[in-house]
Amino acid sequence: MIQLYHVHKRFPNGCDALSDVTLRVREGEFVFLTGPSGAGKSTLLKLLLVMERVTDGQILIGGRNIHVLRDASVPFLRRNIGVVFQDFRLVPRRTVFDNVAISLEIMGLGRKEIERRVNQLLEGLRLVHRAQAYPGDLSGGEQQRVAIARALVNEPAILLADEPTGNLDPDLANDIMNLLLDVNRRGTTVVVATHDVALLERHGLRTLVLSRGSLVEDRPRVVRPNERLSQPIPIQALRAADPLAGRSTQPLSRDTAGEEP
Amino acid sequence: MRHGPRPEYVVRQAAQLVRGSPWLTGVSALTIALALTLVGLFAMILFNAGKMMHELGQSLTLSVYVQDATTPAELAALDKQVRAHEGVKSVTMLTREMDRERNRKLLDPELLKGLDEAALPGQPVLEVEIDADLASRGDVQELVEWTRSVKGVQSVEDVEFGAEKLRLLFAIVEIARTVGLVLSIVLLSSAMFFVFSTIRLAVFSRRDEIEILSLVGATPGFIRLPFLVEGALQGLAGALVAMLLLGLLHLELRSLVRDVYMLNATWSLLPPGMILWLILGGPAVGLAASAMSVGRYLKV
Ligand SMILES: Nc1ncnc2c1ncn2[C@@H]1O[C@H](COP(=O)(O)OP(=O)(O)OP(=O)(O)O)[C@@H](O)[C@H]1O
Ligand SMILES: [Mg+2]
Repeated sequence: MIQLYHVHKRFPNGCDALSDVTLRVREGEFVFLTGPSGAGKSTLLKLLLVMERVTDGQILIGGRNIHVLRDASVPFLRRNIGVVFQDFRLVPRRTVFDNVAISLEIMGLGRKEIERRVNQLLEGLRLVHRAQAYPGDLSGGEQQRVAIARALVNEPAILLADEPTGNLDPDLANDIMNLLLDVNRRGTTVVVATHDVALLERHGLRTLVLSRGSLVEDRPRVVRPNERLSQPIPIQALRAADPLAGRSTQPLSRDTAGEEP
Repeated sequence: MRHGPRPEYVVRQAAQLVRGSPWLTGVSALTIALALTLVGLFAMILFNAGKMMHELGQSLTLSVYVQDATTPAELAALDKQVRAHEGVKSVTMLTREMDRERNRKLLDPELLKGLDEAALPGQPVLEVEIDADLASRGDVQELVEWTRSVKGVQSVEDVEFGAEKLRLLFAIVEIARTVGLVLSIVLLSSAMFFVFSTIRLAVFSRRDEIEILSLVGATPGFIRLPFLVEGALQGLAGALVAMLLLGLLHLELRSLVRDVYMLNATWSLLPPGMILWLILGGPAVGLAASAMSVGRYLKV
């Protein structure tokens, strides 16, 4: 799903944020991206989103080389990639509902379809009662969930999250993690950048370690079956409401985005 | 799946932009209104002056009465001489009989009953049509003097009143054309500048929003459309206000023409085609200005 070959990124100021990074994330995988501050985690995510272009090397997403992508095609690539930014990046002037709806508005869906999908997701995330609130009036955890809702509402093939548990209390962080795992279980490829060591250890998922721009370790997943099921799952409502819940092991194809189930 | 944004979404976002800076938006719309009112006013003046000139121009003929004794050969020579003079558009030569016939037609048939045909006035005459250009330059009097001095001419019928009116109209048209053009350009460009600035500020105040939209996969067109619509809406609001002002100005000018200048002419508003152009002109100007602003400041 995501392939990097000898990727090099040098910023105009001469800073080498990434050097010779080669890695591969398979469809449906859940991967942590970690490393000390300044290691290049955010830069890697930015390259995947084409917020920045590589200096050297190749990046393939879904088999397509995004290095040669024309500017006009970038928006369509981004529709297949949901992003949760560390600072949420919600639009302060739009309500929770409208923030989540953005991902569907840009696809030109009809009002009914947008309402149906957004409300369903907000319900699953226990945000329905805040639908008409503005981001400024929400708690950090609520904002985080709105950001995740916006990233997920158009059912992207890939979900990128930059420090999604950043400055949240442990309970809330756990909730968010479970939500991401759940999304992954339904087929979405998930990449989470974090330096929350406890989080990494608790889940034992595949972990890519960056250090000063180089990939220094690729820790494979530790299989610990049934562990997650013992944890509280606030997202069950989401699964129940989700039309795709029944196909939880099927990978989300980009072609299904926007279609009626 | 449909493509392109929902119209309702675009209008809602554009309205949101208006709400973001109501005063600036209002001023932009007002400058457009002012500019369009001016354009409309000058168009109205030119249109009506043209109409009046057409009406008056038909009566701008000099009747040059020639002495009775003049022979047809002398009359023909006279005709040639007048025809050659500057400012003369055409000359129609009428013999005594033709003039009499013409007079007869002009009279009420009731009056003609039992009247001796020979008693009707009749005189050889040259109907001299004057160039409208000459009238505008105010040289009609000169032409009249010259004609009077020509040997064999008995009298020249005064056309000064018609020429005077025409001269006034020409003066109005000339002033309206230059002043109108200059003022319209000045006002339209400042109106565009206001819209341009309003949209620029709207773009700046929504930098974060624009970036977010782009990051979640909005196309540049999708991001720009609300800003363009906001510009067009400012223009439309301006056009509607301009229509109102023009309507009032029309009534004012109509009574001015009728009561003050005593011109026996009807003052009309604009032809429907021109009104349509003015109404469309507002959104077009707003759209053009916001397109310039968006093209320059909204980078995605
Ligand atoms: N736009 C930029 N211009 C110049 N240098 C940059 C730019 N963005 C990032 N860098 C540099 O690239 C390096 C990697 O930054 P990056 O943000 O990817 O680190 P990170 O791993 O996400 O760190 P953190 O954990 O603190 O978020 C840093 O040294 C940073 O200063
Ligand atoms: Mg970072």
